[in-house]
Amino acid sequence: MMVLGLRRAGWVAVVAGLAVLAVAPAAAQPTAEEIMAKAHLAMFYPGEDMRARVTMRLVSRDGKERVRELTMSRRDLQDGGEQRYFIYFHRPPDVRDMTFLVWKYPGRDDDRWLYVPALKLVRRIAASDKRSSFAGSDFSYEDVSGREPEEDTHKLLRGEKVGERAASVVESVPKDPGSVDFTRKVSWIDKATWLPLKEEYYDRRGELARVFTAEELKEIQGFWTVTKRVMKNTQTGHFTEAVFADVRYNQKLSPDLFSERALRAPPAELSR
Amino acid sequence: MLKFSLVEFSVAHPKLIVSLTIIFTLAFMTQFPRMKTDTNPKNMLPATSDVRVWNDEVDKTFALYEDMIVLGIVNDRGVLNRETLARISSITDAILKLKGAAVQDVNGFPTITNVTSESGILTVAPLMPEVPKTDQEVAKLRKMLFGNPLFVDRIISKDGKTTAIYVPLEKGANGKEVADKIREIVRKEKGAEKYYIAGDPVARDTFGAEMFRLMAIFAPIAGMVMLAVRYLMFRDLFLSITLMMDAMISIVWSMGLLIAFGFPIHIMSSMAPVFLMAIATDSIHIFNEFYFRYRERKDKKVAIIETMHAVGRPVRYTALATAAGFAVLLFMNIIPVRVFGGLVAFGTVALRILSFSFVPAMFTFVKEKNIEKAARGEDVSFSKASRFLRGLAGFGAHRPQVTVLVGALLCVVAIIGVTNIVVNNNMVEWFKKQSEIRIADTQINRALGGTSTGYVVAISKEEDFIKNPEAMRYIESLQRHLEKLPIVGKTFSVADYVKRINRVLHDDDAGFDVIPETKEAVGQYLFLFSMSAKASDLNNVVDYPFSQANIWVQLKTWDAQAMEEVIRAVDDYKKAHPFPLELKPAGIAYFNLVWNDEVLWDMVKGFIAALIAVFVILIFNFRSFKWAVVGYVPLLFTILLIYGVVGFSGKRFDMPISVLSCLSLGMAVDFAIHFIGRFKQRLAESSVGTPNSELITESLLWTAARPGKGIMRNAVLFAASFAVMMFAPLTPYITVGAFIVSMMMLSALMVIIYLPALIILLEGWLFRGGST
Repeated sequence: MMVLGLRRAGWVAVVAGLAVLAVAPAAAQPTAEEIMAKAHLAMFYPGEDMRARVTMRLVSRDGKERVRELTMSRRDLQDGGEQRYFIYFHRPPDVRDMTFLVWKYPGRDDDRWLYVPALKLVRRIAASDKRSSFAGSDFSYEDVSGREPEEDTHKLLRGEKVGERAASVVESVPKDPGSVDFTRKVSWIDKATWLPLKEEYYDRRGELARVFTAEELKEIQGFWTVTKRVMKNTQTGHFTEAVFADVRYNQKLSPDLFSERALRAPPAELSR
Repeated sequence: MLKFSLVEFSVAHPKLIVSLTIIFTLAFMTQFPRMKTDTNPKNMLPATSDVRVWNDEVDKTFALYEDMIVLGIVNDRGVLNRETLARISSITDAILKLKGAAVQDVNGFPTITNVTSESGILTVAPLMPEVPKTDQEVAKLRKMLFGNPLFVDRIISKDGKTTAIYVPLEKGANGKEVADKIREIVRKEKGAEKYYIAGDPVARDTFGAEMFRLMAIFAPIAGMVMLAVRYLMFRDLFLSITLMMDAMISIVWSMGLLIAFGFPIHIMSSMAPVFLMAIATDSIHIFNEFYFRYRERKDKKVAIIETMHAVGRPVRYTALATAAGFAVLLFMNIIPVRVFGGLVAFGTVALRILSFSFVPAMFTFVKEKNIEKAARGEDVSFSKASRFLRGLAGFGAHRPQVTVLVGALLCVVAIIGVTNIVVNNNMVEWFKKQSEIRIADTQINRALGGTSTGYVVAISKEEDFIKNPEAMRYIESLQRHLEKLPIVGKTFSVADYVKRINRVLHDDDAGFDVIPETKEAVGQYLFLFSMSAKASDLNNVVDYPFSQANIWVQLKTWDAQAMEEVIRAVDDYKKAHPFPLELKPAGIAYFNLVWNDEVLWDMVKGFIAALIAVFVILIFNFRSFKWAVVGYVPLLFTILLIYGVVGFSGKRFDMPISVLSCLSLGMAVDFAIHFIGRFKQRLAESSVGTPNSELITESLLWTAARPGKGIMRNAVLFAASFAVMMFAPLTPYITVGAFIVSMMMLSALMVIIYLPALIILLEGWLFRGGST
C-alpha cells in the first residue's frame, strides 16, 4: 500500500516529510510545507472513502440562483495519492441520471468520463485544465479534489484567528505560474483540525479574484469535515455555496464500483 | 427705463461699477476649484432612463459588460504562423494584467472556449492555452478555428489574415485609458502585424476627452481671434479688451454658478464658453454706434448715453431672443441639455447687464484722444464698408421683385434639399476618416463580424422554456434571418453552443450540426458545456432559469440606424412566425439608437419651441405682428438654406447638427432685430406722419450703411472666431464651425439685401395705418 501508485518524487518527499514529522518532537513549530501537506490530507483524504449529498447553490451578482444537487462519492486508493470520484446528479431535473467519473492521479491529468442519458452515451472528457469550473460552479476541479501542495512554494506568514479558531496563515505561490489562473494564494489553516478556514486567490494583476470560506465545520465519525463552504468570485460578484449533507465515511466502497459500467447503471451505494 | 438709468449710473460712478464687477467675478471664481467634469457622452441620458435601466438589467441577467474594446491584429501573410501566434499570446497575457479590463472574460485565441472532440475525447477548454511549437500544431489550430462556426468572423477572418481580442471593460472603467494601455502593449511588439483598436468605449471616451481638450484650445484661440479682429476694426486695444472682458466675465459668472450648483461640466456645457463669446459679439453694435455718435458729439459721456439710448432697445431684445432661444432648452427632457440651456441663457443675461453697466463704465476711462483718432474712420459717407453696404441694400431696395423672386426660388430648392435629409448618428464618424479610431473601425469591420454589438433578448415567462428544441430552432432561424441584413456581420446564441456540442458528441459528424430532438438532450448538453466552459460562456447567452436567451448581433457599423434595421427585421420575423417568445432589443447599439433619437428629437422639439419663442419676442419688440413676420423672414430663410445644403451634401442630420439648429435661432434673428429697430427709429426721427416711399428707401439705405456696418462687423467677428473650429480633428467641430460661419454670413446678407426688398415690396401692408 505504501508504495503502490507512487508516481512522483514530490510525493515521496511528502511521505518522507510526514514520517520525519511523526518522530520529531511534538512541540516543534510545523513548517509551511508541513502545514499545507497536513491540510491537504485533512481536507481531501479523510477516511478510506466518503459519500455525501451535496447541494450547490450558484448565485449570480443580482441574486439569481441555479441549484445542483448531486451525490459525491470518493474512494482513496492511497492516502494523499490516487483517488476515484463518482458523481451522480439529481438536479437540475433534466440532468437527472447524468453521472460523472473521475480517476485522479497525482502528477498527471485525471481521467474523466461523463454519461449523457439523453444519448445513452459515455464520453471521455479531456481534463487538461484543472482550474476550470466544476459543474458550472465557482469551485474548480482542484477546489473539489485538491491541489497538490508540491505544485506551490509555501511561506508561513503569521498566526491569526478566524472567528474563534486559531489559524496559521500561509502564502502559496505556484512554481509554474503559466499553468494556473492565480499568482498567489493565502490560506488560513485551522490549527486544531488542519482544515482550511479561508483562502484568498489573487489574479495576475495582484487583485483579489476569489475567496473560499469554510462556513461550517462538523466532526463526523471522528473526521472534521467542512460541511458548508462558499467560493466567491470577488470580481464578478458570483458565488457558489456547497452544503455537504448525509456525509458518511468508511462505507467500504470498493474501488471497482468506480467504473465505466457504473456510469450507465449507477449502483445504489453511489446514487443515494 | 431701468436699463437706461443703469447706464447713466454706470457712467456717473464708473469706478464703483468696475469694482463691483470685479468682486462678483472673484466670488464666482472661488467656485472653480470644485469643478467636476463628466466626459462620458452616455450621461446625456440619466442612469435612470428606461434604456439604461433595461440595458443594466440585461447586463445583469446575462453577466454582460456594458462596454467592449476590440483589438484587431492583422498580418497580411496570415496570422496563423508561430511568430504572430506568440505575439497574440504575449499581448493577451499583458491585457490580462490591465486594470479596468474584465480580465476573466477577455476572449481571444489563448482564452476563448473551444469545444472539440479528438479521438473520442470531448474537450471543452481554451482554444490556444500555449503557443504552437510546430507547424503541425499550427495546422491543427487552423483546422479547429475554421471548423468551428463560432470562431469564424469573430476571432478569425475568413481569409485568415485578421484576428481579434475582445476586451470587456469593468463597470466605470474609462475606455480611452484602457485603449491607451493596450496601445502601449502592442507598441512593444515588433513585427509585420498591424494593430487596430476599436469599439464604442474607445470612440466615446476619446471623443469626450478630445472635446474637453479642444475646448481648452479653441475657446482661447477664438477669443484671441476676436480680440485681433476687434482691434483691426476699432484700432483701440483698451476698448477691444474691455469688450473681450465682457465675454470673459460672463463666462466666469455662468461657469461659477454651474459649479456652485454642483453640476459636473458635461461635454455640452463645455461648449458654453465659446457660445457666450459668440453671443458677446453683439456688444459690437454698441461700439459701432458709439464711434458714430462720438464723431457727431465730441463728448464722451453724452455719446455713451446717446449710444445706449439708440441701441439699447435692439441690444436688449436681441439678448432676450438669444436668452429665450436657450432658455426653452430648460423644458427639454435631457438633463445636460437643460443645464446647457440654463447656463447659456444666464450667461446671455449676464452679458447684457454688463453691456449696460460695465462696458459704459469702462468707456469713460478711454482717453478722448484715442477715441477721436479711431472715430475718424467712422463716417458713413467716406467709409468704404459703409458705401458697399449701402450699395447692397440699394440692390434690394431698387429691385425688390427680382430679389424676392430669387429668394423664393432659392427657398424652393432648399426645401427640396431639406426633404433629402437623412437622420442618423454615428459616433465613430465624429472622427475624421484618417483618424486612428476610424481606420481601426473600418479595418475590423471589413474583416470580422463587427465592432458594434446589439442584443436581441428572447423572453418567456416559463422556466426552462429556452431548452425546448422548438425555442432553440426559433432562435436559430431568427439568427439566419438577421444575418441576411448587410449590416449584420455575425450573430451567436445558445443555439450555436447546443449545435456545436451535438456535433462534437457525435464524433464531429456534420450531420449532427443541428438542434437535438428532445428537451432533455438540450438540457444535458448545456449542463455538459457549463461543466467545463468559462461560467460567462453560458451566462452570456441564457439566464439562470433558462427562460430568457440572449442573441448577440455584431454590427458592421456604428450607425444608430443599423440597430433600427435589426429591430425592424426582428419585428418582421415575429409577425411571420408567431411563437410565445417576446423579442426585445438591448445592448450598446440599442443604447446608441435610443440616445441618438432622444437627444435628437429633444433638440428638434427645442428648435420648434425656440422658433415660437423668438417670434413672440419679435412681436413684443416691434409691437407689431406684421413687422415680426418681416423680421422673421431672414431667420427662416437662413435656416432653410443651410438645411437645404445639408440635405444636398448628404451630410446626415446628426446630434451635433440638431444641437446647433437649436442654438442658431436665437443668434440668427439678432441682425433683423437691429436692422428693423434702427430703421424704424430713423424713420420716426426723420418724418412726421405716414412716411413716403422716398424717405423709406433713404432710411433703409442709411440703416444698411450705419447699423448695417455693426451687423457686418458682428457677422465677420463671429465667423472669424468660429472659423477656427473648422481646423479641428473632430467632425462635429468642423460642422459647428462651418454651420455658424455660414449662418452668420447668410443672415447678415439676408438682412442687408433681402429685408430692404421685402420692406419696399410690402410697404403698403406694413405702413398702412402709420408706423410706430
